[in-house]
Amino acid sequence: MGYLGSPFSTPERRMILVAALVLLPVFFLPVLPVWHMKLWAPQYREGLTLSIYSNTIRGDLDKINTLNHYVGMKSITPSDFREFTYLPQALTALGVCALLAALLNRRWLAILGWLVFTGFAVVMFRDYANWLYHYGHDLNPHAAITLPSFTPPLIGYAKMANFKVLSFPGVGTVLLGVAWLLGPAVVWMERRAARRAAPAS
Amino acid sequence: MKRPIPIVVAALLLAALVALVAGCAGGGASDAAQKVYVKPGEYDKYYAFFSGGHSGQVFVYGIPSCRHITNIPVFTPEPAKGYGYDEETKSMLGGFTWGDAHHPGLSETDGDYDGRWLFINDMPNARIARIDLKSFTTAEIFGPIPNLSAAHACPFPTPNTEYVFAASRFSMPVPRDKFSKVEDYAKNFNGVIAGVKVSPEGHMSLGFEILTPPFDWDLSDAGKAASLGWQFFTCYNSEEAYDSLEIKASQNEMDFVAAVDWRAAQKAVDEGKADKIGGVPVLDPNKVKGIMYLVPTPKSPHGVDVNPTGEYICASGKLQAEVTVFSFKKLMAAIDAKKFSGEKGGIPVLNYDDVLEAKVPVGLGPLHTQFDDKGNAYTSLFLDSQIAKWKVGPPWNVEDKVDVFYSVGHLMTSEGDTRHPTGEYLVSMNKIAKDRYLPVGPSHPEATQLFDLKGPKMELLYDFPTYPEPHYAQMIRAEKLKPLKIYPLAENKNPYKIGSAEEARIVRKGKRVDVYMLTIRTHFTPDIVRVAQGDTVYFHVTNLEQDQDITHGFGILFSSKNTQVDPGETKTIKWLAERTGINPFYCSNFCSALHQEMQGYIEVSPPGTRIADIQRPDPKKLEEIASILKK
Repeated sequence: MGYLGSPFSTPERRMILVAALVLLPVFFLPVLPVWHMKLWAPQYREGLTLSIYSNTIRGDLDKINTLNHYVGMKSITPSDFREFTYLPQALTALGVCALLAALLNRRWLAILGWLVFTGFAVVMFRDYANWLYHYGHDLNPHAAITLPSFTPPLIGYAKMANFKVLSFPGVGTVLLGVAWLLGPAVVWMERRAARRAAPAS
Repeated sequence: MKRPIPIVVAALLLAALVALVAGCAGGGASDAAQKVYVKPGEYDKYYAFFSGGHSGQVFVYGIPSCRHITNIPVFTPEPAKGYGYDEETKSMLGGFTWGDAHHPGLSETDGDYDGRWLFINDMPNARIARIDLKSFTTAEIFGPIPNLSAAHACPFPTPNTEYVFAASRFSMPVPRDKFSKVEDYAKNFNGVIAGVKVSPEGHMSLGFEILTPPFDWDLSDAGKAASLGWQFFTCYNSEEAYDSLEIKASQNEMDFVAAVDWRAAQKAVDEGKADKIGGVPVLDPNKVKGIMYLVPTPKSPHGVDVNPTGEYICASGKLQAEVTVFSFKKLMAAIDAKKFSGEKGGIPVLNYDDVLEAKVPVGLGPLHTQFDDKGNAYTSLFLDSQIAKWKVGPPWNVEDKVDVFYSVGHLMTSEGDTRHPTGEYLVSMNKIAKDRYLPVGPSHPEATQLFDLKGPKMELLYDFPTYPEPHYAQMIRAEKLKPLKIYPLAENKNPYKIGSAEEARIVRKGKRVDVYMLTIRTHFTPDIVRVAQGDTVYFHVTNLEQDQDITHGFGILFSSKNTQVDPGETKTIKWLAERTGINPFYCSNFCSALHQEMQGYIEVSPPGTRIADIQRPDPKKLEEIASILKK
């Protein structure tokens, strides 16, 4: 029985369980936002908000779309995103994977899940960046106002025409990050336990 | 070593003197300025609703800044808000193009303003309007009330807004179409007091009317707390003069305050004791007893105001120098003991001395009284051009007086006619502005003054003009109102509403054309409308915006047609295609960066031209628009 086949010790197993429990409510019931975009203009000092969930976009969508039509930006429509049809299921599957790893106490399952999770996150961030590029570049040439192409910020602050835009992760992504970090944390804990055990033997 | 001390003393004295001079010269003004200063972007503490008099509107101000915030058109068509131009508000105006709005009446719960509605009368046409304070628009106009002529003592809601009232200022034959020679005034003319029921949803309907002798009913107030269930009215012209009233109606030492038991009146109607006159139930006090009583009151009383506890009824004899205070308890005792000196038109008359509580020597020409939270009353004095502050209760002393500029009519204190006045501010509505503002020619604005009531003395804070002509006004704490920011589209139940460009269309049925049109930044759909000369065209315009303050206008050139459609609203404009040719229309309310481009054309073909029964916008164009509007 090699490293991959061997079970976890109790504290590590608990942490995997925590990772599963953190993931499941976030995506199984998509009530926590994944990402926010806040926009301010001289006329909107209170700010307009877009909040992205794993299955939809909420917030001042109509107001933002009405404003965006001046520059010929494609209207932001939740039904345009295929991602929303599989994102909750995919993330739930990863949560279930962590849950099984903890309950069945299978290290290989946990590591596999974590690797898929990492890969999936990278792909989704790429995808999000593509969408942002698309909205800022695929502008209607007949729009009333012609803007040079732009990409709204993936994260952080940018100024676009009369708008100031701040883009930042939502609670969902923070929890997602916590769950992801629990992977390396478990490995680190195992190493530390192994080092402490070594001199004694 | 002895010299420094006198120098120090001298310096201190000098400093004190400087401070004193500075205090006298500028301290007061800058204090007052601070009390009315509301920082840019911040809100006032009170909404004040001023009746607009013969402008037929309501003016909304913020107190204490005295900033004019908006007008609410009520009885008069008003192009700025498109009121009275669309079919719905046009029909609400009932063909009238003016009204004389005198007395705002905020709805009440337990005798305090609840912020649901504002009632206001149109005196000459005997109508009452209800303004919805969610939308700040006129929701309903009730009347002309049958049999009634000039609703001046109106609306003065009861403490739980069960009723609003109206009473004839100019007596007339009843019903109104009955002819009589004016010389037969005493015999054939009558006054009428009407109780207008208000449903829990705010709808008005006639509860009862009471037929009275041909006095001129003047003002009213609802009994509250101790006097709950009673409504009080003043009258002049108990002389029953029909000409030269200025002289002939000022002869009697005593006119009357009337006390109406509105629950008893309603009960009498419900028991079938009323006669049907002019289509409504009218109670004749000759036949129905126990609904109304008269209290002799000196010298053509004007205002009648009930104090916050409801124990005292304060009548202001406008041709004397006193406020006459009656005791509600004494009034009830006299009625119970049936101590009547006689009857007028079947209405029992009580003895003045049996009901009198006090005579307060306020000054000349008292008109109206309001109250504060410390047991004080404030009475406006037209002739003395002053406000008198006096203590309600023994020894009934006048405590302070201030000059106003000039000739005050009504006054209002903060929530000052409720059970719980806040005692913060007083606004004096003066009838003569004369020289108070930059001159603007012979037609003057009205003069309004704000006073601080927090100290022992009334303190003048600010002078501000208003457009003609507020009579009464009321102010309500701002946090009691929660106005809408937009009309949610989902709640728009207008049958002509459309929700998207796909639904936009022009439907012809004979010579009637219905245009289902939408507006959104920055276009109309459809923006080309094809009709034939002689068509009657109904433009049903839905504003699809859901963003605050993006109102679109719809104005048709070479016509009197213009309306304003707020976000989420649908309005209908009726337009006759009278001439062959092209008729542009445009957005008449600056909406956005491309407002100037927001326009369209009506193409009017010669009569008899064949036009499709249903026109829809060009599909290509629709696609373009749909990509913008896609939800």
